[in-house]
Amino acid sequence: MNVHNGTPFMADEDLLYTILADLKRTVREYTTAATESNCPAVRRVFNELTMDTLRIQGDLYMQMSQMNMYAPPGKALRQDVDKQIQSAQQTQQKLQQFVREKTGGAGAYNHGSNVPQHQANVQQHNNGSYYM
Amino acid sequence: MQSNQMQALSGKELEYIADSISNEDLLIKQLAATAGTTQNSTVQGICIQQIQSHTHHMDMLVQLLHQHQQYAPTQPQ
Repeated sequence: MNVHNGTPFMADEDLLYTILADLKRTVREYTTAATESNCPAVRRVFNELTMDTLRIQGDLYMQMSQMNMYAPPGKALRQDVDKQIQSAQQTQQKLQQFVREKTGGAGAYNHGSNVPQHQANVQQHNNGSYYM
Repeated sequence: MQSNQMQALSGKELEYIADSISNEDLLIKQLAATAGTTQNSTVQGICIQQIQSHTHHMDMLVQLLHQHQQYAPTQPQ
């Protein structure tokens, strides 16, 4: 019997959560298997299984979320995001310099088109009006 | 091209395929058990749909073994 003492073996929520956790683990294992495959045919199958399991895991997460079985994660604060943007930009600048030094400019580490856009955003954030 | 050629499975590939079959087996069993116990028709529908996907995965993995069977050496190399 599925039911013991009038209560199910486990709540739907707990059962689906366990399945979701196993899907996450399975995606990781497929990814590892793909990266460590020697035969192209095997790698192709593990690639396909990685992508399909990732899709299935995402679908289940969304369905659980819609049924209120999964509390959405807390939102990162604006100041923390801004801090990470600044840090990332410094990393990019230092990296660009490093690559230029090592390759004499031939490395073509070029993200110039995106950087001014990000800088503009940061300046806009620093006006203070977004820190509500 | 070399990349399209079927090769003998490495020991590691064989282990990954076997582990993957175990993972798919466990997922299908968990989904079937959930589908069998739930009173919620939406949950049941989700589980049945997912069972089909994982059964397909299992078929792909078993097929992979069959495809490579003839290339496996009979003696250690």
